[in-house]
Amino acid sequence: MSASVEICNVSKLFGNGVRALDKVSLTVAAGEVVCIVGPSGSGKSTLLRTVNRLETVTDGDVLIDGESIHTASKQLNALRQKAGMVFQQFNLFPHLSVIDNITLAPLKVCAEPVETVRQRAQQLLDRVGLGDRGDSYPAQLSGGQQQRVAIARALAMQPEVMLFDEPTSALDPEMVGGVLDVMKALASDGMTMLVVTHEMGFARAVADRVVFMESGRIEQIAQPEAFFEPANGSRLDTFLGQVLR
Amino acid sequence: MKSRWFWHGVYGFILLALAVSIYAASRTVDYTWRWDRVPDYIVAYEDADLRTTLTGIVEITDGRVQIIGTQDAAAAESFADLDEILVEDGDYVFDGDVIGSRSGWRIGPLAWGLVVTLQLSILALLFSVPIGLLAGLGRVSTNPAARNLAATYVEIIRGTPLLVQIFIFYFFVGTVLSLSRMTAGVAALAVFTGAYIAEIVRAGIESIPKGQMEAARSLGMSYGQAMRHVILPQAMRRTLPPMAGQLINLIKDSSLVSVIAITDLTKAGREVVNSTFSPFEIWFTVAGMYLVLTASLSLVIRRFELRLARADG
Ligand SMILES: Nc1ncnc2c1ncn2[C@@H]1O[C@H](COP(=O)(O)OP(=O)(O)O)[C@@H](O)[C@H]1O
Ligand SMILES: [Mg+2]
Repeated sequence: MSASVEICNVSKLFGNGVRALDKVSLTVAAGEVVCIVGPSGSGKSTLLRTVNRLETVTDGDVLIDGESIHTASKQLNALRQKAGMVFQQFNLFPHLSVIDNITLAPLKVCAEPVETVRQRAQQLLDRVGLGDRGDSYPAQLSGGQQQRVAIARALAMQPEVMLFDEPTSALDPEMVGGVLDVMKALASDGMTMLVVTHEMGFARAVADRVVFMESGRIEQIAQPEAFFEPANGSRLDTFLGQVLR
Repeated sequence: MKSRWFWHGVYGFILLALAVSIYAASRTVDYTWRWDRVPDYIVAYEDADLRTTLTGIVEITDGRVQIIGTQDAAAAESFADLDEILVEDGDYVFDGDVIGSRSGWRIGPLAWGLVVTLQLSILALLFSVPIGLLAGLGRVSTNPAARNLAATYVEIIRGTPLLVQIFIFYFFVGTVLSLSRMTAGVAALAVFTGAYIAEIVRAGIESIPKGQMEAARSLGMSYGQAMRHVILPQAMRRTLPPMAGQLINLIKDSSLVSVIAITDLTKAGREVVNSTFSPFEIWFTVAGMYLVLTASLSLVIRRFELRLARADG
């Protein structure tokens, strides 16, 4: 069901000369939840996006379940299915109903029977608490509801890893809880999760490990209890002081 | 409220003043306006003679004329619904003789020209849309060959006059591939319009947020699947209005194919002018006919857009 992720020495140099990632290595065990925090522009999104190759790497590789993501070229689409991704801006397909948003990829990519896919989509909608909104269009939903649909859409491809890029940053505060609850449930089901977030409460409660990134490098990795311990004068302290206040 | 009517009045007054000055201008050049001739060149109610193609004996029963061939026993020819019969029962007629006449509506050359213009425009549109779609997809492709080919096509077509392109299509492409005038004309218009549609399609695709493609790809869809099921359906809605404008341009641009002797509305106008010596009336009429075509088209499109907008809401 869930798979491990090995990020091996990944570097990313953008065309404009920005070094977004500098020899980043991180191993996430199957079923583990790792939260990534850090200041804006530190390369968190870029790191996440190299995991399912939305971004190519300049150097290094990523292995999902031991399979290389960046050297394989032919089965790229098949490899991508292993990692579901949830975006800050939801990126639902506005021209499709909620149920069609969820069923589109399984129908077109896996050519599964319509009935199976519909059934699974309905189950997923129930699971994110939107069982009765299948016929709605994204624009008719609140931000929190859209993000939960986006999670259901990613889960419909039966991924082995879930990547979340600031899933609650674009939400009104009262919407955040519902999305985090869905993510917590997913974590306790044993899904491997990489979560870029500023929700320190979520990181403390759910994460097995927390990663602090700065300037394209992983500055610190620790278990939540240790991570949030004050260590005087460190950059992590300054950062935590800013987000927690 | 009062000031609004005032400005409507100003508008009407200016139009009237224009009409009067056009009339006054025409008085200075010793020209006799003969508007009464014009309708005949659009549709006319007139008599047409009907002639036999046989040599034989006339037989009339209940106003129905039959010619029984005498040279070939099996041959017979019959004429019904004649408004005037010019032969009598038992007459002996020869091949080519007038049997009678029938009056009815005839489509005049200007109306035929309009039909040809419509035909040209619709055919060219049907071909230009797939050409434009393909080139538009090429423009946004990451493949350098596709991208450069599409860009070159668009640059060449948009950088040269349509009139020159029509000549090239007719004299060069048409000769090499032995195309008919009509085919060459349609091809030139389709290739020309395709370049503009390509730019419309490109703009439509680029107006869709990048996140849509990323979401689709992250779900395992291929580039083609993402384009087809996610990007294009959204882009197409946004391209409908400029696409409709391009269709109206196409109708107007089609007038240029008259230079390769296709009898469209413009060429028909020229021919009618040559035989009537009423250039003022005919050219105003031709302009009016184009206007009716494009105006009714924009009306239909406006309706369609409103419906689409309502469906979106
Ligand atoms: N497509 C891109 N082209 C050029 N530079 C980029 C691109 N995407 C991100 N960057 C740069 O890479 C750095 C890291 O960006 P990002 O991974 O988005 O940071 P974070 O998600 O931590 O805020 C930033 O300096 C950003 O400006
Ligand atoms: Mg980011």
